[in-house]
Amino acid sequence: MIESAFAQAAVQLILLALVSLLLPASYRVIAGPRLSDRLAAVDLITTLLIGIIVMLALVEGTQVFVDMATALAAFAFVGTISIARYISEGRVF
Amino acid sequence: MLLEVLGVCALVFGLFFCAVGVVGVIRLPNTLTRLHASGKVATLGLFGLLLGAALLMPSTAMRLLALGLFVLLTSPVATHAIAASVNRRREILEELGQEPEPAETEETFQVDVTAALSRSKIQDIIEAQERALRHHTPEIKRPSDSGRDSGRDRD
Repeated sequence: MIESAFAQAAVQLILLALVSLLLPASYRVIAGPRLSDRLAAVDLITTLLIGIIVMLALVEGTQVFVDMATALAAFAFVGTISIARYISEGRVF
Repeated sequence: MLLEVLGVCALVFGLFFCAVGVVGVIRLPNTLTRLHASGKVATLGLFGLLLGAALLMPSTAMRLLALGLFVLLTSPVATHAIAASVNRRREILEELGQEPEPAETEETFQVDVTAALSRSKIQDIIEAQERALRHHTPEIKRPSDSGRDSGRDRD
């Protein structure tokens, strides 16, 4: 847990800014002309989500959130790899 | 106190690169350049956030280090997979004899090109496109009327 009010306020402001970055990033998911653009944007959104979860761990003072972020990173990696394979080969397996 | 100021500075650094990456993903013209921009978020942006979190909450430093190492290992692989899939798709389209999807252009470029063309050239292009379309769409073969009638009579 963070004691000083300054750091607490700064962390909350940065969390707010990161969450508001999700909206412009999802523009590319909707408008991206090709599948690979959408995939790159989803990858970007997942990275932003990892950062958001780490900020949430700071706000709540809970260490478990960092483990959640690690799990999200692992599953996002598998998902990105398989969708990239689907784009190039036309099938996943 | 010093640790907290340093941590907040690192968080702001990470947030800045996250914002730059998102702007790049929106504004850059094609897939590979967009991948370049989103790579900035994955390395500089996320590592700034992780460093700031480690400075602000030192008890989680080891977990954050593990997360950072994992992202450092997987993020380039994922980006490379997307880039390779773009190239591979282009190769497949060329092998099939189809036109590779045209390099994407922003609307401003399109407006410039059409303004530079004279009207007769635009007319030529439109006619050529129509000819190509007529050439490519196979005509549906209709069975001759007499054959269909005789079949129906037999039934």
